[in-house]
Amino acid sequence: MSTSAILLFLIAVWSLNTGVYDFGGQSAFAVLGKVFSGDSSLSISDRYVVWDVRAARIIMAILIGSMLAVSGTSLQGLFKNPLATGDLIGLTSGATLLAAVTIVLGGHFKQYLPEAVQFSLVGIAAFIGSFLSMLLVYRISTRGGKTNVVMMLLSGVAITAIGFSITGFLIYISKDDQLRDLTFWNLGSLAAATWTKNIILAVVLLISYLILLPKGKALNAMMLGEKDAQHLGINVEKLKKQIIIITALMIGSCVAFSGTIGFVGLIVPYILRLLFKSNYAFILPLSAVCGSILLLTADTFSRSIVEPSELPIGILTALMGGPIFIAILVKFKKSMP
Amino acid sequence: MIKAHQISYKHKEFHILDAVDVHLEYGEFLAIVGPNGAGKSSLLSVLANEVKSKQQILFKDKNISEWKVSELSKHKAKFSQHNSNDIPLEVKDVVMMGRYPYFDAQPGQQDLEAMNNMMYETDVFHLKDREYNTLSGGEKQRVHLSRVLAQLRNSIAHKLLFLDEPLNNLDVKHQYKALEIIKKFTQKANSAIVVLHDLNLAAQYADKILLMKSGRVAAYGTPEQVFTPENISKAYNFPCTICEHPITANPMIIFG
Repeated sequence: MSTSAILLFLIAVWSLNTGVYDFGGQSAFAVLGKVFSGDSSLSISDRYVVWDVRAARIIMAILIGSMLAVSGTSLQGLFKNPLATGDLIGLTSGATLLAAVTIVLGGHFKQYLPEAVQFSLVGIAAFIGSFLSMLLVYRISTRGGKTNVVMMLLSGVAITAIGFSITGFLIYISKDDQLRDLTFWNLGSLAAATWTKNIILAVVLLISYLILLPKGKALNAMMLGEKDAQHLGINVEKLKKQIIIITALMIGSCVAFSGTIGFVGLIVPYILRLLFKSNYAFILPLSAVCGSILLLTADTFSRSIVEPSELPIGILTALMGGPIFIAILVKFKKSMP
Repeated sequence: MIKAHQISYKHKEFHILDAVDVHLEYGEFLAIVGPNGAGKSSLLSVLANEVKSKQQILFKDKNISEWKVSELSKHKAKFSQHNSNDIPLEVKDVVMMGRYPYFDAQPGQQDLEAMNNMMYETDVFHLKDREYNTLSGGEKQRVHLSRVLAQLRNSIAHKLLFLDEPLNNLDVKHQYKALEIIKKFTQKANSAIVVLHDLNLAAQYADKILLMKSGRVAAYGTPEQVFTPENISKAYNFPCTICEHPITANPMIIFG
């Protein structure tokens, strides 16, 4: 745990120093130090690049990577399958769909809503989208307390298809500035990081983790089956509700601020499982740190490989996630009777 | 310990349990026996609060559904008939699950002791670092036995253990060993309700026998009272002779 935290810190340091902008010979840390000490010799543009662009983006990568990984690990624990992640079962598409609807059509009804809601409308819509998809997927694939994972993944495919077609239609009818927003959502990017967004994400993360991270034991007990977990003193119905609502909240907030960044919830638990088996008491808290490591590394690469331009981050995560998806399938095939 | 009066349980208009009475004293070993489909496992599920029945079940003089789930887990444990085959953990992690009601993040000294002791008793200590999924059926059974025993390792008086066919897949030695452990548990004023298939083992170890047929109680009492040729031949539709066990003097059932 502490090893991974140190690693995360080192990557953050490297990431802060990576970029096109030239601080006139001094290192990014020196500039950051000046930001903190309130040094008046600091030029506005230096301050802006270090604090409002790079540091904000690094923090956002840490927050979002962590939440995506934890949501994946929790869902996999709840449904007892390493393929049950937010993007594969359609939660991300559901969130993207409602976010897109709000971007394009939001102008028509926005003025009737209270100001606080107006400001976070896209975020709320994304949360509702992922929550509704979760309910739909759960209803379709669960019967008598047993969840069929194949049904679950297929409902995810269906929801993604619906989301794709409606988002496509919205792109077709949208105006220019809306189109830019939509493209951003579909590809996923951390370039729009700001400190306001980071504060909201940090609050969501804090609330979610207070409830979710102590659930490692309960998720282990779920491997025995729901009835036996109940005999171990775990309130299974409450656990299910908590995980479903909180993962929807986390995925919704991530999609609202960074668009669809796929596969993080698949890659991180997969690697942790190789190292620590499936003991959720370890891999749940570890996925919180390792998710940050993964996304921050991927983001730093995505903005430094093709300098001065940048690669959509979803390309990198999918490049890692695809082979891992196949690896999990191959493992399944071997264990099939 | 546990009192249940006239329990009925239906599944899709089909009577699985029909007016079953159960009464269990502290320190009692009750064996539920009967042919396939008699409702033995369903009765155990209802008593263990897994499925809700309309009738009241009193556990320690309090309605079992009014107990807090977390509190109940320190008073009773259940060994299920169908244990999961796929638990990608090591054996010691599975046994440690029995201690989950007792610690928050990290297991304490007591939890480790309970885990090790029970692994010794059930003869799985040498497997503790093995992956659960690589074990044989009988070994997995013993791991779960170890887990439910570790769960009831505490200072609370009068605990209750439910076991649904705990002897499945076990070899002769471990069948006797498991029953010895359960017997020892009940001798400390704890109780056990065990579904068994082997009538001779039931006669040898249980204090009371509940013989079931088609969801009803066919006979109830001490092994001597229940195991009569009439009761058994009628319940199982199969002829049998009963004589005295040459060593233990319990009834010995010989089929055919």
